[in-house]
Amino acid sequence: MSNMSRRSALQLTSGMAVLGTLALAGCGRGDDTAATASAKPVDSSPATGTVKVWAPQGDADVLAKVIKPFQAANPDLDVKFTLIPNAEYYTKLQSAIAAGKGPDLAQFFPEAQAQFLDPSILRPVPDGLVAPDSFFKSLWDAGVVKDVAYTVPWYAYTYALVYRSDLAEKAGVKAPTTWATTVPFLKALQDAGAAHGLGADIGWDIFNGQDVAMYAWQAGGSLRSADGKWTLDTPATVDALKFNASFFTSGTADPSGPTFLDAQPYFVSGKTACMITGPWVVGQLDTAAKKTGWTASHVATAPLPAGSSGNTSFAGGGTWGVLASSGNADASWKLVRHLTKPSTQVAQYKAYSSLPAVVSAWDDPAIADQPLLDAFLTQMKSTRAFPQVSTWQQVATRLGKEMEGVAKGTQSAEKAAAKVQAYAESLGSGTG
Amino acid sequence: MTTVVPASPRKDRRSRGARRTAVAWLFLAPFTLVFLLYTAVPTVAALGFSLTDLRGMDLRHPFAVDLVGFDNYLRLFRDDSFLRDLLNTGLFVAVGVPLTMGIGLALALAVNSGIRRLRGVFRTVFFAPVVTNIVAVALIWQYAFHANGTVNEVFGAVGLAGPNWLDDPDLAMPVVILLGIWRNFGYAMVLFLAGLQAVPREVYEAAAIDGAGRWRQLRHITLPLLLPTTLVVTVLLTVFYLQVFDEPYLLTNGGPLGSTESVALYTYRQFGAGEFGVSSAASFVTLLLIGLVSVVQFRLLRPRT
Repeated sequence: MSNMSRRSALQLTSGMAVLGTLALAGCGRGDDTAATASAKPVDSSPATGTVKVWAPQGDADVLAKVIKPFQAANPDLDVKFTLIPNAEYYTKLQSAIAAGKGPDLAQFFPEAQAQFLDPSILRPVPDGLVAPDSFFKSLWDAGVVKDVAYTVPWYAYTYALVYRSDLAEKAGVKAPTTWATTVPFLKALQDAGAAHGLGADIGWDIFNGQDVAMYAWQAGGSLRSADGKWTLDTPATVDALKFNASFFTSGTADPSGPTFLDAQPYFVSGKTACMITGPWVVGQLDTAAKKTGWTASHVATAPLPAGSSGNTSFAGGGTWGVLASSGNADASWKLVRHLTKPSTQVAQYKAYSSLPAVVSAWDDPAIADQPLLDAFLTQMKSTRAFPQVSTWQQVATRLGKEMEGVAKGTQSAEKAAAKVQAYAESLGSGTG
Repeated sequence: MTTVVPASPRKDRRSRGARRTAVAWLFLAPFTLVFLLYTAVPTVAALGFSLTDLRGMDLRHPFAVDLVGFDNYLRLFRDDSFLRDLLNTGLFVAVGVPLTMGIGLALALAVNSGIRRLRGVFRTVFFAPVVTNIVAVALIWQYAFHANGTVNEVFGAVGLAGPNWLDDPDLAMPVVILLGIWRNFGYAMVLFLAGLQAVPREVYEAAAIDGAGRWRQLRHITLPLLLPTTLVVTVLLTVFYLQVFDEPYLLTNGGPLGSTESVALYTYRQFGAGEFGVSSAASFVTLLLIGLVSVVQFRLLRPRT
């Protein structure tokens, strides 16, 4: 008897599975829906109605304060913010989009937003809303697919060298400008008293993959060919992996630390003497050192050293996109336009140290008078966007994972590059 | 007083039976509904997804995807990191289950008959890891097994240089397994305790009269009579351990060099990357494995009557 019921349960389950499959079989991918690029222009009349804004916690925490002038000028507009913890942000956003319950306006990350750049998810940026060339080019490019822009840049960061000026002075060395002089520079810092020359990122995740990708650009590589094929097993990628590994094999970086949260304490205590990191640390090191003015007398910054093909880095930060499902796109775009005004960009910097995505906003004394940020501005002008394909994050994650083996000497750079290429080919560019 | 002519007793019984069935269904309804809605339907949907190229971008129109047959499954078994994760998970189960059960059984025997005083206290203490917050525990373990952590300080006290446990591809997995065992042995203990208390006293008395010592009583009475409990514990722990996620995720995040990455972590990461087809396929591989291993265990440990 129990056997019978088990069998009928099995039959029921397989029947349901077959039905489900048949239901799926009835459908298939439609043809590429071409984006309707000619979105309605946004006029200058006041914004009205309600705009629901979703953003990850962080730079958007201060938005309600920063947009006060905008709300004063648009009294009939109600802006509702929902701030979501960073780690869950994309998951929540994706589920909301799937359920058709997304916000009007959402923040994205230019280094990781390709999966959203599709007319079924985001509206194309209306012509004339903002001037594309007022932004750092790589940030704008990060939102463009098939010549249609889906996101508007909001804030910016990139990586540069942040190092201990006191130790460099003691060692009599200047910041390296080429790959070849980088490890000797780190060694000199180490000889001047640091336990390790470089506090390298050892998460072996997407961030390491981004580093390797940036070194590949510097070595003359491109991650994808012009005709849309992955090119990750090139000599440039191998050089990039080897350059990144050279920090560990030369003993100037420790493969077991510091971890992300230890990076700044290690740096101020002299366990490390250099970081390849973003501009936010400049404002945080005094806190880590528990001494006001420590940064000014101990820290210097410099653009990244150049490989055979320059010192190209990637641009990170935040961007805004209006969802295709939004019922109030007009007011949403007006808010975006306000957020990209140089004055708003400076207000955002003052409130949260978010560096402007609008190039001219860097001229404001609040930013221009900070010598430690100069290197970041120089570096921002030498940035590229990561590939606008939805599988890039997976490929970058794999690149970071394989980097671990190269850094620890368990596999060759060539082998790692070949593995990443094979993996990337198996993924393709994602669908859509 | 009126006499009611009873209707055909047979019919009456049948209608009463029908009513009883209806009442039974009424009681079963909450579970059945929740089960159908949140377990059966998603499972069937996931099986369907695993045969398609569904990705994060398709969420708006989940049916506008292509059927790709078993491509996702093929992709899994061609991905050497998935194969490595299968092996890692296998290791976790093969080492973790017997050790957890061994410790659980030993403690159950001790608490049941060895320890006379403070029995309740011991029972509570041994069970505490099961109900402790794993996030906090993993954090403490991270510090304990850090290169300069508590464990190495103990090593240092006797003049030994301890390794960097969680950063060594050969040592990270043993630590992860240890955390799994520590977290679950109390669970095994409680189940074994219940089993032990069901063994009738008289059998032991008879054995004692026949001159059986404690060891022979254990071998020939306790263990055979515990077989049904053993089966339950084996199956439950195996099902838990095949889905191991918390321990490696919190302690090592799968590293170093992927040595502690499990199949569940792989599935989770694929899902996070928007690869819903592949991650559904991976979860079905786990489901099949669980089914297969459970069937084998039922066959091997079934009480022979």
